[in-house]
Amino acid sequence: MIERILLIILFLIGFYGIIAKKNIIKKIFALSILNSSVVILFILEGSKIGTNAPIMEEGVKNVVDPIPQALMLTAIVIGVCITALALAIAFRLYRYTHTFDIDEIHRKLHDEPF
Amino acid sequence: MNLSDIIFAPVFLPLLGSVLAFLGKAFFKDHGAKLIEYSAVLIGLGLPWIVLFYLLPSMLSGTVIQLVIGNWLGGVGVIYRFDGLAWLVDFLGFSIAGAAWIYTLGAGPKGPGFSAVFLIQTAALAATAMTVDLFNLFVCLEVLGIASYVLIASSEKPGAFLASFSYLMVSATAMVFFLVGLLGLYRLTGSLSYEGIASGLKILPRGGGLTANVSLSLIAAAVAMRVAVMPLYGWLPDAHALAPHAISAVLSGVLIKTPLFALTRILIIIPEGIEIGRLMGYAGAATALVGVIIALAQKDTKRLLAYHSISQIGYIVSAWGAAVAAGLSTPIGLTLMTASFLHAMYHALFKGLLFLTIGTTTDLAGERDVYKLRGAATILYRGGEKFPVTLFCFLVGALAIMAIPPLNGYASKAALSYAFKDSWQASFLFAAGIGTTASFIKLSRIYWPQRKIDQAAPEAGTVPDKVHISIQISQIFLAIMCIASGIFASRISLIVKKLLSTGIIDTNRVPPNLFSIQNLEKTAITVTAGIVLFLIVSTRPGKKILSLIRNRPRNFQGLFLSFSLGMFGLALWMIYKS
Repeated sequence: MIERILLIILFLIGFYGIIAKKNIIKKIFALSILNSSVVILFILEGSKIGTNAPIMEEGVKNVVDPIPQALMLTAIVIGVCITALALAIAFRLYRYTHTFDIDEIHRKLHDEPF
Repeated sequence: MNLSDIIFAPVFLPLLGSVLAFLGKAFFKDHGAKLIEYSAVLIGLGLPWIVLFYLLPSMLSGTVIQLVIGNWLGGVGVIYRFDGLAWLVDFLGFSIAGAAWIYTLGAGPKGPGFSAVFLIQTAALAATAMTVDLFNLFVCLEVLGIASYVLIASSEKPGAFLASFSYLMVSATAMVFFLVGLLGLYRLTGSLSYEGIASGLKILPRGGGLTANVSLSLIAAAVAMRVAVMPLYGWLPDAHALAPHAISAVLSGVLIKTPLFALTRILIIIPEGIEIGRLMGYAGAATALVGVIIALAQKDTKRLLAYHSISQIGYIVSAWGAAVAAGLSTPIGLTLMTASFLHAMYHALFKGLLFLTIGTTTDLAGERDVYKLRGAATILYRGGEKFPVTLFCFLVGALAIMAIPPLNGYASKAALSYAFKDSWQASFLFAAGIGTTASFIKLSRIYWPQRKIDQAAPEAGTVPDKVHISIQISQIFLAIMCIASGIFASRISLIVKKLLSTGIIDTNRVPPNLFSIQNLEKTAITVTAGIVLFLIVSTRPGKKILSLIRNRPRNFQGLFLSFSLGMFGLALWMIYKS
């Protein structure tokens, strides 16, 4: 039970960070935290039914559910891509506005005619 | 040739093309790179057409091809299904993507890198339309998303980076919730394929109870965010307004509809899906009306079009939701679904056309403000268009979205109102139609002649950019499609119906007459009311109200607030209904 409570706290920290932090780099951190909390949740739920690593060879018994682990490998890769892209965009935003503050960026870019 | 060998072609050919384009970028320069890029695009966007036409006869006879990738067992592998729905979405995707890519030859962005990302996006579209596996849907949506964040930012405008960032953050967060919902369903049923989930939920007491309901609403809310239904639309206007014009056309033509039709696959086989469809349909009707009110208030030309995309997606979602609620195997459900897809397709054509023509015009004029830009027809003439192609194409698009016969917008809106009969949604859509007319009268004012002659004319020496031939080709192509699909609307609607029914229902009944006196009368009323509404909002108090709507506070946090509220509302609705 305690693991789940910790995971919920981690999840909420991530969600709070995305919404409440003004700094866009911190927002990206928070997105990573949010993503990780769900990854850990999947691994935790998958591990409930067994104890051993799911390597399908003779003699290996009582393995955990391999599907959540396989899914999470994909999800982690996607998460890395998104983080990288978000950081690249943040860099460009900084070059245009010289700030990481989201409200400041909004103000500076909205004054600009487009 | 075996049919099941080629159904992956619409996914793999664009992927192959994007690999080629990247290789060309890495190993060749100038002419070589360009040659490879063009052949890559020909492979990625051209060859799938052959496959699609080859598959059409068997799709019309109701064939459904279901395959597991890599010949795994059905319970483990990823299942893809190619049927009429997938064919229709592919058709839509490849026609708009092709036209948009040709447009970029003249207007930019250019280069093998851009083409490669564009092809990846097209491949993801085709994959999203085919998948019947929940985790694969997640992957497809993420690939689609990542490609579109890059493409939005590729206009190199500072605002586009901010729009792309906001879209990225809110949609990545939504996809995390999607994963949580997926875990809930996997825990309940031990399966990830739609059929496995549906049969698993059927055996469980009370269909899985609270967990199933909440999981489904998390998934549906994440997809609805991509579709930009009220109240989850906040990311769309900036993203669509600031993206390159060709990308705007693809985004609002295809990208916001594909997730919706992909969601259909799971909702129609799960009993709880009916309620999700019903609520989303209600939200869609509200979206149609609210979207058009905000659109009427805009002063940026492309932002006005972007809000119209929201409004038109409202039309589509309202019919789609009612269709899911009625069930696709009932005649009424099928009629609604046909009308919904027909409008999705026609909207893609005319909205794509509008984005391209307005883009051409505003680029040439260097001004995007509806209230300031005047005499655009002259500017286009000066830009080298001796025959006013762009103006003519804009008029086709504008008349189509205003639902003037015989253009395609008229046909699909008539089909929608026929499908809705006298329900309350019909009156919402009718009111939205009035707003559409008014706001397009407002938009077309940019082509009216200037009052003070040549006040803002460029000085001699600063020759404006020429309108590239490829721009004209893609515009003319879309305009012809708009006109042709309007004239042959009843035949097309029969084909769409046949493809969607997958042979379950007899679809050979005679379709309703679109050009009945009653429909024409309704159009006349809409246009008259639209003109009156336009005159009202042109007065001083009207303008004040519009500027209040336009300048309502919008910020980054609002996106997340509305997403959380929407998701919470959907979950509450599901719990209440079960």
